[in-house]
Amino acid sequence: MSVDAILFWILTLVVLVSAMSVILMTNPIYSALCLAMTMVGVAAIFVTLNAYFLAGVQLIVYAGAVMVLFVMVLMLFDLKHELQSFSRGKFTGALKIGSVGILAGLIVGAVTIGKSLTEVKAVAENAVVVDTTKILSQNLFLKNIFGFEALGVLLLVIAVGTVALSRSKGGTHARD
Amino acid sequence: MTSMGTSSFEITVNIIKTLAVFLMMVQAVPILVWLERRGSAFIQNRFGPNRVGPLGLVQLLADAVKFLHKEDFVPDKANRFLFYAAPVFALIPASIAYMAIPMSTPLILGESRFLIQGFEINVGIVFILGISSLAAYTILMAGWGSGSKFSLMGAMRASAQIISYELALGLSIVGVIMTYGTFNLTDMITAQMGALNFSGFGYTTTISWLPNWGIFYQPVAAVIFFAAAFAESNRLPFDLAEGEAELVAGFHTEYGGFKMLMFFIGEYGHMMIAAGLMTTFFFGGYLIPYITPDDVYQFGLNNFGSETAAHIFNSAVHFLMYNVKFALFLWIFIHVRWTLPRFRYDQLMDLGWKTMLPWALGNTIVTSIVIFSAAYFSISFPPAVEDVLKQIFKYFTRT
Repeated sequence: MSVDAILFWILTLVVLVSAMSVILMTNPIYSALCLAMTMVGVAAIFVTLNAYFLAGVQLIVYAGAVMVLFVMVLMLFDLKHELQSFSRGKFTGALKIGSVGILAGLIVGAVTIGKSLTEVKAVAENAVVVDTTKILSQNLFLKNIFGFEALGVLLLVIAVGTVALSRSKGGTHARD
Repeated sequence: MTSMGTSSFEITVNIIKTLAVFLMMVQAVPILVWLERRGSAFIQNRFGPNRVGPLGLVQLLADAVKFLHKEDFVPDKANRFLFYAAPVFALIPASIAYMAIPMSTPLILGESRFLIQGFEINVGIVFILGISSLAAYTILMAGWGSGSKFSLMGAMRASAQIISYELALGLSIVGVIMTYGTFNLTDMITAQMGALNFSGFGYTTTISWLPNWGIFYQPVAAVIFFAAAFAESNRLPFDLAEGEAELVAGFHTEYGGFKMLMFFIGEYGHMMIAAGLMTTFFFGGYLIPYITPDDVYQFGLNNFGSETAAHIFNSAVHFLMYNVKFALFLWIFIHVRWTLPRFRYDQLMDLGWKTMLPWALGNTIVTSIVIFSAAYFSISFPPAVEDVLKQIFKYFTRT
């Protein structure tokens, strides 16, 4: 096995285990920390694929900013353990079985589609290493500028909406 | 992954080098602590540690032994796993990020070429920012895991501060990236070679008595970056996280012995990253002003005869130059800590969000406009004005 393969399997193990832990942990703070670990693992996989810029941005934005805020808020609320959120009735049982079925279908689909992708891998290995950052920015700011700007506007709308919602009815200073 | 080298000799040397760079960062901490204690004593007209060994240099060794012998202690209310994990994680981001900073010209031995840095990454800045932004987790883990109110409040303050100042820090670097047109730290240093050289609008001006350092292109970015770096490494005047008058010691209130020392090493590591980046971005990295690496190599070739000796000499001299600049910034960090009082929390947030962020944003916009217009437009003055301008330039460009 080459170094690349060993790295890939170790990182995949880290990502999968931490991603599973996000939903299996009973303490929400551990879940959030595991999600951060998943982000770091995905960034490391990006590095092994030579997508350094993407890895750095993944670390800065998701692991470094978004998840830190999650962890901070969770720690401030000091939630001990999750409450039993679902009853053990027939309806939720059917829901659980349904979601397991969907997940299994997704995995089978990914494996069958993945088999046909081996040719793509062979092509990618022959490709010359180029300045991926430049290509990425050209794609974002020249080719897909309208979609990119629209996403920015969407984020702005969400931010304004959040502020408006939290301030309606007096916001944090409400006396009810 | 061919970056570790092709022959077994290269791979061995690279592995040893990576370990050496990591150990160098850890080993510099006792010296820094000694410098901090002696320096603060010098500033405050005291003696400082001067009993153990010459100049008190062995004091830190004695301290380390003391730390190792302390009782391994976990508070009753603490979360054991997070309490033990936090100090270990505190070391990782600082040491990995420091490894990406180039410290000298590549050492060439025969066919092999060794970089004097832990590893080279094409997007060095993004990598360093990303890794060091993970430091907020260790603080939160320590603060929440200790199960103490003081720790939690200290951790909240510290992580809020780090997130706020990371924005200003990141934005101030954008101007630098645009000026050099690269993310690669080695390319940035190479771009700062030679005499100060402004070109654009159809003119080129060379000021031969100044080196081509980034500080002359991005002075605003340099000030913002340096100030934000203080906040990122949680040092005075931004050390609200451990304001001992209000919070005992902040997020590491419950820590003692070697676990506490590991937080210490992490904090000094962030200081070293900031000093190293300051050197790299704004002060020419390992380059010696007025002299190119080729000159040093030729000097070595003339004096030592063999090419190998000249290459080793070249790398050693530049490594020394890097360390001189590096040590200067570390000393400024220490001096500021013992000079300025602590900010109030609202002042800290105002400075971060209402002063440094807008200035960094403005710097980015102005830089991009100037770079674009300098590349695409040329200005032509009337002959009389041009003569006057030439006279002014001549005054500045005299040798």
